[in-house]
Amino acid sequence: MATSTTEQPRTSRPVKPTSRLRTTLWLLVSLIIVAAFWSVKIKWSSLADFPAQLVKYVSLMLLPPDWSQFGEAFNATILSVQMAWIGTVLGIIISFPLSFLASKGLAPRAVNAPLRFIFAVIRAVPEVVIAILILSVTGLTPFTGALALAVGSIGTLGKWGYEAFEGVDPGPKEAVRSTGGGTLALIRWGVWPSAAPDVFSFWLYRFEINVRASAILGLIGAGGIGKMLQDNVQFRNWDAVGMLLIVVIAVTMGIDQISGAVRNKLIHGRWRAPRLAS
Amino acid sequence: MSGAGAPGFMLAPGTARPIKPRRGTMTGAAVVLLAAITVWAGIGVQVDLPAIAANWRNATSNIVQLLQPDYGFFPKTVPALLETLQMAVIATAVGAAISLPLAFLASRATNPKPKLLAGVRFVMNMVRSVPDILYAAILVAVVGVGALSGIMALVLFNIGIIVKLVSESLDGEDLGAQEAALATGGSWPKANRVAMLPQILPSFASQVLYTFELNIRASTVIGLVGAGGLGILIDNVRSFFRYHELSLIILEILVLVLVLESASSWLRKKLV
Repeated sequence: MATSTTEQPRTSRPVKPTSRLRTTLWLLVSLIIVAAFWSVKIKWSSLADFPAQLVKYVSLMLLPPDWSQFGEAFNATILSVQMAWIGTVLGIIISFPLSFLASKGLAPRAVNAPLRFIFAVIRAVPEVVIAILILSVTGLTPFTGALALAVGSIGTLGKWGYEAFEGVDPGPKEAVRSTGGGTLALIRWGVWPSAAPDVFSFWLYRFEINVRASAILGLIGAGGIGKMLQDNVQFRNWDAVGMLLIVVIAVTMGIDQISGAVRNKLIHGRWRAPRLAS
Repeated sequence: MSGAGAPGFMLAPGTARPIKPRRGTMTGAAVVLLAAITVWAGIGVQVDLPAIAANWRNATSNIVQLLQPDYGFFPKTVPALLETLQMAVIATAVGAAISLPLAFLASRATNPKPKLLAGVRFVMNMVRSVPDILYAAILVAVVGVGALSGIMALVLFNIGIIVKLVSESLDGEDLGAQEAALATGGSWPKANRVAMLPQILPSFASQVLYTFELNIRASTVIGLVGAGGLGILIDNVRSFFRYHELSLIILEILVLVLVLESASSWLRKKLV
């Protein structure tokens, strides 16, 4: 004790441990951020009058919004939601068998690996880019928009599916195997009953994502609420844009509420909508 | 649902098996409802498989072009590629800085004022329910074409995500240290700073990295509406039907996303 106090007479606190890796990483990250700010071509001066601009445009949009086109907007929103629904349903139909084939233990390795790779590639490409790819092949209609959403859904649904199937409790699976069940029996009685609630809730979650994505698809020309928004932004009909924004937000939040309530029912067994302000 | 007995205990007369709980009507109704919605939506979007098949012959030439990326186009994509990266980095940094205090206001554990809490959470829900490209489309009209509107759109998008994730991890933290700090007479902001902030820093950093991954993907596409980055290039080559070049850009996005995502997820594993 005595020696240690003579060595460090001033400090009574233990020295904070430092990690070289951590320090280097922090330096690197700060450097990258500074470099990005330094190199980006932006007129920072236009940031100065941004608050005034924002107030101006928000008041143009919302004081008051123009409800005269509400009927048209409502129909366009319905079309977007229908696009999202068909996209989700098609995505489920395609990804459901594929995610069984991608699960280890339910299909040979040689089948698992390429499927997982395809799912990963689809997930890496943004939905809009997938949509552009598909639309450049099939042309622009709401149905091809739905097809694009379906392809985009395969990546995530496929992955969540095989993760759920691989994560089920091994007990029932062993029970099925010990009674001599084949792979189909294993899937039906050993895997599906325990994975089903999760898989259903993934489907709903993907539908929520597709509702948002379908609004975006309109921006590149696939119809629906996005197209109407883009048109009105281009013609600077700000009061109509305000109305459309309110419709988009209300519909998205409303669908999230319904879907959240159904998901709660599936997972927890009780109907309960997620609270808006909680 | 149907009250057909406490599961597993009621025995049917003459058999040794328990009665299966009856839920056929519920399931049947759900299936009918879902099928009806699907048919209705199908009519709405005009599902037309024959048209796709008829279009297929025209489509094959496009597909052939898409499968042969034009690598000579690469030098022209470099500035847009860099701009995409710059937008993602700046937006993540700014979004993280704005989100941290907001996350404390949005968590039940760190904000003692119920009305303020509810207000912040409601606004955050609204911010989250607008897709990033929509923000970009509007901001392009307000601040003009270019990287600045893209960065602003991404910042809004980031705030929505980071505040939700971080406030949720705040909700789950241990409140002992905070209570101790309050008991010694500290104010809420001070108690949160000394007791809660150190606890969530690792998860905050990891959520910010995760948001950065999302930003890379988003920043490649928000340019479609004029907000800078690779998206502007996509829009150009698409409207001139230059599919060789389009496929090169998509290949670049794929490589960029895969490389940065694996780097970032390696870093995240180190952090937590």
